Amino acid sequence: MLETLPVTERAAAAPGRRLSRAAPFVVAALAALALWIAPLFLDTFAVNVLTRSMIYAVLAVTVDLLWGFAGILTFGQAAFFGIGAYATAMILAAYGATPLGIAAAVAAALVAPALLGLAVGWLSFYHRSTPLYASVISLVVPIVVVQLIYSGGEWTGSSSGLVGFDVLPFEIEGYFRLAALFLIVVTLAAWILVRADAGRALVALRDNEARCAYLGLNPRRLQIRLTAALAGIAGLAGFLFANASGVVAPENAGFLFGTELVIWVALGGRGTLLGPVLGTIAIDYLAANLSGDLPFLWQLLLGTAFVAIIILLPGGLADLVGRLWRALPVGRREPAPPRLVARVAGTEATGTGIPILKVENLAKAYGALTVLEGIDLEIRAGELVSLVGPNGAGKTTLMRCLSDGTEPFKGAIAVGGTPITGLTPNRIVGLGVGRKFQVASVFESLSVADCLRLARAPHDGLNPVGQAETLGLPQAALDVLRMTGLDRLLTRPTRLLSHGQKQALELAMVVALEPRLILLDEPTAGLTKAERTTIGTVLKALTAGGRIAAVLVEHDLDFVREISSRIVVLHQGRLVLDGTVEDVVGSELVRTIYSGGAHG
Amino acid sequence: MLLTLDILTTAAILFIVSIGLLAIFGVLKIINFAHGAWLTVGAYCAVVTAKLGLNPWAALPLAFAVGAALGGLAEHFIIRPLYRRPLDAILATWGLGIVVGQLVTLAFGRDVQLTPNLYAGTVEILGVDYSAYRLVAFGIALAIGTLFALIIERTRLGLSARAVIMNETLARSLGIDTGRVRLVVFMIGAGFAGLAGVLLTPLTSVDPNMGVSWLIGAFMLVMVADASYLALAAACLVFGAAQVLISTFVSPILGSIAIAVLAALVLRISPKGFSRA
Amino acid sequence: MAEAAAQAGRRIEPAGAALALEGVSSGYGAVSIVKGVSLSVGRGEIVALLGKNGMGKTTLLKTILGMVALRGGQITIGDQALAGLSPARLVALGVGYAPQEQPLFQDLSIRDNLRLAVPSDRMLPEALERLFGHFPFLKDRLAQRAGTLSGGEQKMLILGRALMLRPRLLLIDEISEGVQPSMVERLRGVLQAERDSGVSMLVVEQHVAFALALADRYAVLKLGEIVDSGAAKAPDAQARVIDHLAV
Repeated sequence: MLETLPVTERAAAAPGRRLSRAAPFVVAALAALALWIAPLFLDTFAVNVLTRSMIYAVLAVTVDLLWGFAGILTFGQAAFFGIGAYATAMILAAYGATPLGIAAAVAAALVAPALLGLAVGWLSFYHRSTPLYASVISLVVPIVVVQLIYSGGEWTGSSSGLVGFDVLPFEIEGYFRLAALFLIVVTLAAWILVRADAGRALVALRDNEARCAYLGLNPRRLQIRLTAALAGIAGLAGFLFANASGVVAPENAGFLFGTELVIWVALGGRGTLLGPVLGTIAIDYLAANLSGDLPFLWQLLLGTAFVAIIILLPGGLADLVGRLWRALPVGRREPAPPRLVARVAGTEATGTGIPILKVENLAKAYGALTVLEGIDLEIRAGELVSLVGPNGAGKTTLMRCLSDGTEPFKGAIAVGGTPITGLTPNRIVGLGVGRKFQVASVFESLSVADCLRLARAPHDGLNPVGQAETLGLPQAALDVLRMTGLDRLLTRPTRLLSHGQKQALELAMVVALEPRLILLDEPTAGLTKAERTTIGTVLKALTAGGRIAAVLVEHDLDFVREISSRIVVLHQGRLVLDGTVEDVVGSELVRTIYSGGAHG
Repeated sequence: MLLTLDILTTAAILFIVSIGLLAIFGVLKIINFAHGAWLTVGAYCAVVTAKLGLNPWAALPLAFAVGAALGGLAEHFIIRPLYRRPLDAILATWGLGIVVGQLVTLAFGRDVQLTPNLYAGTVEILGVDYSAYRLVAFGIALAIGTLFALIIERTRLGLSARAVIMNETLARSLGIDTGRVRLVVFMIGAGFAGLAGVLLTPLTSVDPNMGVSWLIGAFMLVMVADASYLALAAACLVFGAAQVLISTFVSPILGSIAIAVLAALVLRISPKGFSRA
Repeated sequence: MAEAAAQAGRRIEPAGAALALEGVSSGYGAVSIVKGVSLSVGRGEIVALLGKNGMGKTTLLKTILGMVALRGGQITIGDQALAGLSPARLVALGVGYAPQEQPLFQDLSIRDNLRLAVPSDRMLPEALERLFGHFPFLKDRLAQRAGTLSGGEQKMLILGRALMLRPRLLLIDEISEGVQPSMVERLRGVLQAERDSGVSMLVVEQHVAFALALADRYAVLKLGEIVDSGAAKAPDAQARVIDHLAV
């Protein structure tokens, strides 16, 4: 057990934590109360407009979750909203506002967009898909939906839309309150999600999708589920909109409306939830009031403000407010770090005789250029193998083949007896392979503790509603943190760490995966002497237990000499030497290779 | 026969509309969502030319000049700060499109404008009467394609632009002023968009939002073509044909989304689109 | 002012260094790669910079060229302090560069590759004459795609491109890599002839034998710092360098 907080300090932190956890609920309750009585003081016009604005604000929350948090710029929420609204209008028109009709409408408004969301997600996200492609698809979806509405004839009312269908038996105040409650519930749920451990996975996806995959998370599945779920929420907003307005039109599903949502979120402040909510309500309400008198000027001002905000203040108005707030001399509490707990590593026997890694006759070429040829390699538990060789020998390519089965290569690679050909990185992680990249690959917007918690997600899961108070890590990962001082920086955002600290954090994350095989690409590049020694000690201790093997690519041969149990020399894509440190050090062949004499 | 002519002229018009966007995307790796606004500006240059009583064809050089000048300003003030944020650049150029559209509205009103036809009447070709202007447009597309090819393949600017596309680091290390190449290419791309706006006037009604309806099609074509103008020509032919055929034999509404849907599917299967072929 | 600087320069380096680095540091993002490197290249001198991959050699060249930001120290070429000069300006000052990574536009013709290296097409014929003087085989192959040249021929094109503008200072990154021995000798001949006509060179190499045979002085870069330097022709030079490089 390793406890980082003295007992007294922890006791003091606990009530504060409980208080801050209750705060969102208190704020939400107060907001609900205020909005409940607000219609008593507002005129009919304002009540009508604000009802619409609050429904749009729900959409803004979904856009913010997708774009601001998960990094998926989407214009497609309008389409899901429109489908929800049309499904509602069509069902209510056919069956009337009977309890059954309403239930059917709610169900359809939720399920139809969610199903389409699944399809869109499947189309948008695949191994090696780009963020731009997802945005392209999100542009196409509303265009297609609108054209389908146009071609729907009497069913959809074509270009004039649907009007005059039965709606819920509410006065306008009733709709206002319903919209307000819906908005508050959705915003609160989103708030809780993004602050919970599971919400960190969204930000992690935005920051570094590759790292997510190499932690064994399935980025694609997360993105598809998020898209489908938020499509459903947008559909429900459409249900409410259809009832409150009594009209649905093709514009409600259109690409232009999709861009407006993005503009509101950008102006309010992406990634802040409250910014987009308040921004949407303010802009839509102002638009309704001003656009009557100054229709073009209003659009002109909005467009100009949008361009200026994107260029000068990407965080939107919420960022500006946040900066002012932080400038105030108000006492602020550091978030309490989670308590570090040692987790007993699984003790399954590995002495089955099957090598952890077996490479047979591996070859890889980029076009006509052969990078690797005839590589045979077997690595067993307890080995610490260094891969050395001059520039262009194929070391990094070999590492890539070992950790990503979708790389086109010839020959066979098996991890613990399982062939990896065709497997995506996250599935290879599932076989027990952890990879540390050459350039430290961590999540820049997250804290040290959050990065480590994501690394434990495949083992321990992520809390979907709150933040766990403890962080359980294998002893080896705790050792890395303690030796590098990261255990005292758990709440620090990763982007503020030094280069060496980032490298150490990434190593701790990989170790936290409890891999059987660790691949490290130049783990000491750019580190100080002391940091290199630390990493060397950690690697030796890890493999000394006899359950884990490590393969590292390294240029610092002093380091290699110190820690390796075996050295493999690559030269021009071939494995030219494989032996103990003594075999390789002082080998005439190696001296020749490094003096350049073996070229050509 | 009519179908063949429709396909060829539709492809030609798509090519005219997309080429400016392609130039900018190829070199700057930025998607210019203000492209629609440049089309609109070009069309209003035709309106102005008509009001001044000039020959309608005089709108072409005017539109190119106005488009290029506005493009230069946009590159300097909006695109340059956003090179490292390509998704934000899409949004900022979209915002610019809104601003330009509203300025046009303030200046000319939101009503549909009438422009003189650049080339009226029909001609009989192989037994069918066909719109003379669409045939002229086909010729113009060939001319624009040739001009573009000459600039890219024969001029020093074109060579520098290709160098920036292929390997910007190397281009810079050889002493090429890559910032200037970007600026000039953006101006030329915007200029071509202006030209396209004029050439669209006989085919579509001129109003402040006319450009937006062309934007998505052009955008999808450019995505599929990556940075190659030959691939763009091929994409225009293939998708233009799909649009015409689906409109004729299935439904005009499905035809109108044919380009977007097919291009999205092509990109899903082959992320580099047609440029690899 | 300029005179004082020139005088100061003469005091430090009586021979008048073609390139002088003083305490140069640079890197990418949070990573520092080059750490306080001091080094000078005299007029008509070849200095070989040796070191294994990842030790900062290429980054050092790119720092001199202004492609990686200088974080500390000073770089002077002749009497000109280099702070924020663009690569274009450096070419005008007479600096030639033969890069190692992606050094050619593979899909462009050899002629176009060369055109891109001259500031204007008017200067091309004269530059080509110089190029053919060094590497006549390129004369008949100008229309060929650069990517179709063999590895060794590509290296000659890269070197020829850097030489054809009559540079005063050449920065060369691993020109011998992947080149067969006979061609390596040919490259050495060309470089030494240029040196004898007064061109100064900083040559980054991993091929120790070639580098020491070519250079007048050498320096070894390890983890961004110079750990050894001396006369290239000293009897123990090769053994010392290899000790720094090999296992």
